[in-house]
Amino acid sequence: MSTPRTFRRLAVTAAAALAAVSLLASCATQTTATDAATGGDPVEGGTLTYLEHQPHTTLYPPQAGFYPNGGIVNNITARLTWQDPESLEIEPWVATEWTVNADATEYTFELRDHVTFSDGTVVDAAAVAKNFDTYGLGNTELGLTVSEAINNYASSEVVDADTVTFRFSAPAPGFLQATSTINSGLLSPETLDRKLEEFGAGSSTEIVGSGAFVVTEEEIGTSLRLEARDDYDWAPPSFEHQGRAYLDAIDLVVAPEDSVRIGSLLAGQADVIRYVQAFDEAQVSGAGFEIIAAPTRGVNNSIGLRFTNPLLSDLKVRQALVHGVDAQEVVDTIFTENYPVATSQLASTAAGYTDESEALAFDPELSEELLDEAGWQVGADGVREKNGERLSLTVYEAKPQPLSKQTLELVSQQLAKIGVELNVKAADAGSYAADILDPLKTPLYHSMVGRADNDVIKSQYFTKNRNTLLSNDAKLDELLTAVASEPDASKRDEASAAVQDYLTEQAYVIPLFEEPQVYGAAPYVHGFATEAVARPQFYDTWLDEK
Amino acid sequence: MSATAVETRPSSSAPQFATDGRRRLRGIRPGLVLAWLVIAVVLAWAVVPWLFTGQDPISGVPAEKLQAPSLAHLFGTDAIGRDLFTRVVYGAVHSLSGALVAVTVGLVVGTLLGVLAGSLGGVVDAIVMRIVDVLLSIPGLLLALSIIILLGFGTVNAAIAVGVGSIAAFARLSRSEVVRVRQSDYVEAAFGSGARLHTVLFRHVLPNSLTAVIGLAALQFGAAILAISTLGFLGYGAPPPTPEWGLLIAEGRNYVATSWWLTVLPGLVVVAVVLSANRISHALGRNR
Amino acid sequence: MPYLARRVGQALVVLALAFTVTFVLLQALPGDAILIKFESPELGLSPEQIADIRASYGADVPAWQQYLHTVSGFLVGDFGYSVQYGTPVHELLAAALPETLALAGLGFLVAVLIAVSVAFLSTLAPFAWLRQALRSLPGVFVSVPVFWLGIVLIQVFSFQLKLVPVIGADPVQSLILPVLTLAIPISAPLAQVLARSIDDVALSPFVAVVRAKGAGPARVLWRDVARNALLPTITIAGVLIGELIGGAVVTETVFGRAGVGRLTEQAVANQDVAVLQAIVILAAVVFVVVNLAVDLVYPVLDPRLKRKAVAA
Repeated sequence: MSTPRTFRRLAVTAAAALAAVSLLASCATQTTATDAATGGDPVEGGTLTYLEHQPHTTLYPPQAGFYPNGGIVNNITARLTWQDPESLEIEPWVATEWTVNADATEYTFELRDHVTFSDGTVVDAAAVAKNFDTYGLGNTELGLTVSEAINNYASSEVVDADTVTFRFSAPAPGFLQATSTINSGLLSPETLDRKLEEFGAGSSTEIVGSGAFVVTEEEIGTSLRLEARDDYDWAPPSFEHQGRAYLDAIDLVVAPEDSVRIGSLLAGQADVIRYVQAFDEAQVSGAGFEIIAAPTRGVNNSIGLRFTNPLLSDLKVRQALVHGVDAQEVVDTIFTENYPVATSQLASTAAGYTDESEALAFDPELSEELLDEAGWQVGADGVREKNGERLSLTVYEAKPQPLSKQTLELVSQQLAKIGVELNVKAADAGSYAADILDPLKTPLYHSMVGRADNDVIKSQYFTKNRNTLLSNDAKLDELLTAVASEPDASKRDEASAAVQDYLTEQAYVIPLFEEPQVYGAAPYVHGFATEAVARPQFYDTWLDEK
Repeated sequence: MSATAVETRPSSSAPQFATDGRRRLRGIRPGLVLAWLVIAVVLAWAVVPWLFTGQDPISGVPAEKLQAPSLAHLFGTDAIGRDLFTRVVYGAVHSLSGALVAVTVGLVVGTLLGVLAGSLGGVVDAIVMRIVDVLLSIPGLLLALSIIILLGFGTVNAAIAVGVGSIAAFARLSRSEVVRVRQSDYVEAAFGSGARLHTVLFRHVLPNSLTAVIGLAALQFGAAILAISTLGFLGYGAPPPTPEWGLLIAEGRNYVATSWWLTVLPGLVVVAVVLSANRISHALGRNR
Repeated sequence: MPYLARRVGQALVVLALAFTVTFVLLQALPGDAILIKFESPELGLSPEQIADIRASYGADVPAWQQYLHTVSGFLVGDFGYSVQYGTPVHELLAAALPETLALAGLGFLVAVLIAVSVAFLSTLAPFAWLRQALRSLPGVFVSVPVFWLGIVLIQVFSFQLKLVPVIGADPVQSLILPVLTLAIPISAPLAQVLARSIDDVALSPFVAVVRAKGAGPARVLWRDVARNALLPTITIAGVLIGELIGGAVVTETVFGRAGVGRLTEQAVANQDVAVLQAIVILAAVVFVVVNLAVDLVYPVLDPRLKRKAVAA
């Protein structure tokens, strides 16, 4: 038995445990929390109004990557571990301690006592095992999917009521960090018997989690009410604040119109809002309100070049495109200093980052040379041609990306200068969903993904994960597999660097900027924070006199 | 305005066909002249936009983004530094042709159905009018959005979607006009003197019922611009970087608190055009 | 009552056709709800898992079988499941309907109020220029996009003047701006009908007589115009149903209200066929019932038609 509630950091014998604890010193310069200190002593009570940009779609944790989902899951579930959003270190939460074997194929967690689900049942080893069996293997019958954060999962073993062991079919160095993500939020075993549909909108109040809040009311597509659990007493031990959340409740209201969210905040009708557009930031801070720009620490907001499209199969054409886009101008024109210009495919705050800025530099003259060399001659309308074919490409506006349309229109202006036509298309969800899976219809793809672990790059590019490049490149897959299976931390960072070098060398990606999640908060809101990839965290939040 | 808005226009236009008796006597109507002037200017924008502005509607100067209206930029600049006045001028061709297509679809198909139903009567009438009822009973927006999804995004496709929504209105109006004219004494007389159906139809019925229909068409022109704008608001507008008016208003709305000109100025242009179209519609309708 | 029976028969035909047309139209759209929700790269579902999901929604059989299945479901009152929400369709509608009924009902009432005020003031106002300005108001009302009107109303009344909150308001407060947004464009055709009736009455010899006897213009107008305007107003009301639904979509989107309009818009975007079929049936029922009612009420109000109906 472990010693409950006494945090004792194990001298972890294997270097494996450190793998996920990114060795990168955090170079975050961005604000990630409202100032808790200046407001005096925290006040308990009150209801906070939080405005979301879109309605949530499901509370099934592995599908909580979508920000509206994640914002709720993060507050209604506790996890085995907590990742410090600044240092990215993995700390105890529901697990008090853990051991990892040398090749990262076996993890054993000791659980904290007196942790309960919101229906009063105990979070014990069996419950935790069921959670990870579901997230690691999925449940086809119920339609529950495998979490993309968990690789090579094989099985669980309940050692005793407080001890659970997970085994993997191959090294899974990213697993420890995976236990800290919202995708591994702990739900009651009964909740995990629900079908995927039964996690959807309309059933939120029936989802039984282990976090500081619980959903008590839902109006489909419009609003949710989250109430604090009085009996919550298992915050990560490293937190200064223990016990229940300061707030009594959170009213989460969906307000899709940008102007309505901003206006409501400034007019005192809302307390915290998500998705402050770059062009509204000055207005918010100018009015004495706070902008919280939290880094998402993953693959940068970027345009993937799908090299299986014949036009992009030529390395020189891809290089020309990479050097023909001026990311600095995109940021200067459309965004703010909270959106740092990309210096690699990964954000500089991401685990495993390496600087690629020199090899990716904006150089339109080089682009023109490369296109000339590749045999693309400027035609009558200024667009290059080769054998009667125009160098004309298509990209879809990506609704989830901030100001995607404006960004792509500007990129299109830039590429026009080197003789490349970029058509920015908009489509309904059905056509978009179908077309983005076809490199002929969507040769360029605008996307990003956030996760504070080296595995993130695999999520984005591996053929069996998101596969945003629609790749058929076995070498790339091999390099990505190495990232996800290298137990040694420093070797794992090297593997990440190798992927970035390869992506640069092959000119597969045009990185644009490091995408933050931008929140606006009223001056009387204190202690609003975000977890490692910028989902809102209301546990420490409290309201001063308005 | 949604596509459904379109359906009420005939009824809303009808009352104004016979307005103020005194004004009718005066001959020259300044309001009407102004309306034609607005339409003429906008048509000129559509045909020869380069005469009105020397700037590029598609490529802007990123460093000059979000500038307020000035002499250099009459309507200010947008988020990526494009001159808004230039975009409005170059957008005229998209918006006007869009509205034109929308009206044409409604006018041609609707009038055809209505005239068929009205002049043939009986089973044809019953069938056609049930089809019209079906068109009216399906929410217009659902119909319009589905058609756009089916045809793909674009100004013309959005226009067709809006046009389909107005078929029912044209069909109902033209049918009732045809029925009215048919029952009139001189048409009865024409039949009585042995004329065949299609002769009567083309000689007497159509010319006499078309005025009201054309009045409706002019009115629909304004409504179509608004409907296309609403589609832009819902995310079904023309693909970028088309400077279509409805899309300009719909996208400028996000900047309403900080850069009001982006939505207000194109909005005023649309208001002017829609008002003018309505004014002309009334004048046309009054002549019957 | 053979007339009524025939009308009801026609109504049923319209319902069946509307249902079928919608089904065919939605089947023709590229992609489907399951593709949209489950095949996005973010989820990383295997083709087998997607096939299972497809089967669980009965979307793996030929379209005609789905059609028969849907029809038989509707006939016994089973509207099926929404793919997007994973919720029974009747629950979604039950949650959304009251919101929209309140919005549309109040919207229509306020529209009538605005129309009456504008029409009467445009006749009774003291100055010619003022009357003219009021006369052109309806024209302006229909020249402004509804979404734009909503956003401007919010900016001015909620954010600048801080008169009514849009977020966290009580149910009554939260209705004020949406109702206005919906009512203003709808008031325009009504105001025009009324204005025309006023003109007709004002020009009639009867009024000259009443006036000569010393009755004030306001009293004369009110009594006779009300009678004259009733018929055309009722006619318009039948058609305005469509406009109310269209306006509700935009209003609910701008104000973030969960009603049938917003449900429709989201269901189209996500190709949530079951939801759309139910909405179409709902809308079509409302349409045919309102039109039937208008047709039945008409002869009662208009003696000329009554005679005709009897003759026929």
